[in-house]
Amino acid sequence: MLADKLRQNPWFKVLKPAHFQKLVEIATEVTWSEGQTIFREGDQHDYLYLIVEGRVALEKYVPNQGQITILTLGENDLFGWSGVMPVIGTRTTGARAVQPTVAIGFDSRRLREISEADHDLGYFIFRRLTNVIAGRLSATRLQLLNMYSQSTE
Amino acid sequence: MTVLMQQTTTALNGQADAMVPETAVITRIQYEAPDIATYTLSFTDDHIREQYQFLPGQFNMLYLPGIGEVAISISSDPGQPGTLLHTIREAGNVTGALAKLKKGATIGVRGPYGSAWPVESAEGKDLIIVGGGIGLAPLRPAIYHVIRHREKYGKVTILSGAREPGDLLYPDEYDAWREHGIEVIVTVDRADKNWRGNVGVVPMMFYKMRPDGRKTVIFTCGPEIMMRFVVYEALARRIPKERIFVSLERNMKCAVGFCGHCQYGPFFLCKEGPVLSYDRVEPFFSVEEF
Amino acid sequence: MTNSIPMPGKHIVIAKDALQTLFSTLQAANYTLVGPTVREEAIVYEEIGQMDDLPVGWTDEQGPGTYRLEEAGDGRYFNYVVGPHSWKKFLYPPKLTLFSAQQNGDGVEFTANKESPQYAFIGVRGCELAAIAIQDRIFLEGQVTDPHYKKRRERAFILAVNCTQPGETCFCVSMQTGPKVKNGFDLSLTELDESFLLEIGSELGGEMLADCDWRPAGSYELNQSRQLMLDAEMRMGRSLDTADLPEILLDNLDHPRWDEVAERCLSCMNCTLVCPTCFCSDVQDVSDLTGGKTERVRVWDSCFNPDFSHVHGGNLRPNIRARYRQWLTHKLASWEAQFGTLGCVGCGRCITWCPVGIDLTEEAAAIRGGQS
Repeated sequence: MLADKLRQNPWFKVLKPAHFQKLVEIATEVTWSEGQTIFREGDQHDYLYLIVEGRVALEKYVPNQGQITILTLGENDLFGWSGVMPVIGTRTTGARAVQPTVAIGFDSRRLREISEADHDLGYFIFRRLTNVIAGRLSATRLQLLNMYSQSTE
Repeated sequence: MTVLMQQTTTALNGQADAMVPETAVITRIQYEAPDIATYTLSFTDDHIREQYQFLPGQFNMLYLPGIGEVAISISSDPGQPGTLLHTIREAGNVTGALAKLKKGATIGVRGPYGSAWPVESAEGKDLIIVGGGIGLAPLRPAIYHVIRHREKYGKVTILSGAREPGDLLYPDEYDAWREHGIEVIVTVDRADKNWRGNVGVVPMMFYKMRPDGRKTVIFTCGPEIMMRFVVYEALARRIPKERIFVSLERNMKCAVGFCGHCQYGPFFLCKEGPVLSYDRVEPFFSVEEF
Repeated sequence: MTNSIPMPGKHIVIAKDALQTLFSTLQAANYTLVGPTVREEAIVYEEIGQMDDLPVGWTDEQGPGTYRLEEAGDGRYFNYVVGPHSWKKFLYPPKLTLFSAQQNGDGVEFTANKESPQYAFIGVRGCELAAIAIQDRIFLEGQVTDPHYKKRRERAFILAVNCTQPGETCFCVSMQTGPKVKNGFDLSLTELDESFLLEIGSELGGEMLADCDWRPAGSYELNQSRQLMLDAEMRMGRSLDTADLPEILLDNLDHPRWDEVAERCLSCMNCTLVCPTCFCSDVQDVSDLTGGKTERVRVWDSCFNPDFSHVHGGNLRPNIRARYRQWLTHKLASWEAQFGTLGCVGCGRCITWCPVGIDLTEEAAAIRGGQS
């Protein structure tokens, strides 16, 4: 069941069966109800999540402004990447389900372990993560520019 | 290959002198977002009101005596040229003064000017329309045109982005557009907890799109930075340069190619632009301060 | 000597003082004469009344950033190099009311300015005729014509002058615009030692000579004129290699030379104001005190003006580097795509009147020489 869901994801289609099996072993399915907090900024890491369906908001708390949503994610998006990166010790944003959401969680510590043990698999995992982070970085730069303040008349 | 539709600049028939405006009355003001309102204009002269026509993407010069003139794109349905709408953001001298005008006020209008979105050469293709902030205003006539001729187009997607949910343009129309088999994707740069839609910059919405590069056309208007990144995302999806259309903004004074202000390399954006295909602007698109 | 009407294409000779007869005929035909005259230590184009207003016996010395009026004492009328003015100030005035707006109860009424002066231009050089032809392309030959320019241009009488006095900053030979005038004139004149040699360029030109005593030009005058033109061609102070120039400039928008010239350029707009082809303008509203009547006034603008490229959110060319690059790449590159010709006629004004002596021929050559 879980393996089937994983196979739906374009990511995993190219994976060797042995590697795929290793990922299935550390995966757990999770569901959140609308409005449910998934984790908070500053929490210790546990899982990297892949959204199967639903929508998740990444939030930062800003004094006087409350929780500001900085990004929303949907089907086939990954979040919680900071847990897999040893240099970052805590969650950099909070996460909340804005719709009923189903996701697959991968144990962050074990992801690092299987990557270390098998560098081919590790390359696959970290290449995916790097792509995700690169996209987020690029988008964040645009967000930082506050481009609409330069908008046309 | 898509050919850019070169619309001839048609000054209003009434005046031999292209710089002299016609008079028009503001018949309705509709508030859209903070500092943004849509003005319905009606030409005073019956003949002009009946004869006036425009193409999607073109603009008019709106004139307030004693204040000045400003180029504003037309945001209404080209199929109903008698109802002439301009969505205007209060941003400078003239738009600031316009914002203070009430229904019934008379202003000067001349136009339409400039090139159009190539809606006809895009027939038979998939269309992605990307508007950022008030950049959706000059795209709306193209959207109306597509709806009017929906069967002539393949998959149609509209991406509408703004800084915050309250800044989104024409949100009340999105459902009506969806009813015509158009996918409308909405995103904002930031939002509070009450927003249940997407948060993320417009170009990010391409991450999940799988457009068919062989038959997709892109129309985009918004902040120049946004358009640049929309172009990069489109190119990464193998959409050819000559099928990516951007609408560029420069200072415009005369709108007929005399004043020199709107030059962009070889182009006068008031004549050859504002809508240009990316293959034509590419040499200058990333040159600083060009 | 006769005083019948000479036909177009004919070369004739008149005594120098017979030019006054031509002036009087033009004035009688309601022409306002404008031509060279000495004002404020320069030879400028202003309204003139008679021959004596011409800069007789005066010449000038020019170089990058320098202009000095000098007394030649040779009694010649056209023995100077072009000064800071050009004919565009009459065809395309620095300040012109386009229309007026009158508040009228709730409404407003717009009235176009129909004013249309009739000028006779006295002493138009080959480079200047070329400049007028370039502005014709801008204001007359596009999809929209400028009615103000059109009226002035159509009504203008042109007395051209073959240039026998090129200056240190001239390069009309490179631009193929002079020193001899080619066409587009009613009359053209070559100043010889004792007389004026005239070529009839139009029927109107011939008719305006009806009251003059003239005789057909002989081989002596024609040879002398030819020799003067050859001499002038040899005395160009500058040259510009125009081969592939548009491509070279547009392919080098990030050339380090732009940074170097930006360190010298003051962005003062002198070059665009003295340029006979620069055409950028702004429009301003001038209201009376009650605000009931407004005049919409077109004024010359310049791409060196920091506000020139202002859009909401800021100025698109805040740095001088970008403004100089815009000017030079427009003049010597994108102009060709826009109007089928370069925007430069080789008159050298922008070099002479640049307060720091920036020389566009030198800048273009530097980018050509050091292209990537």
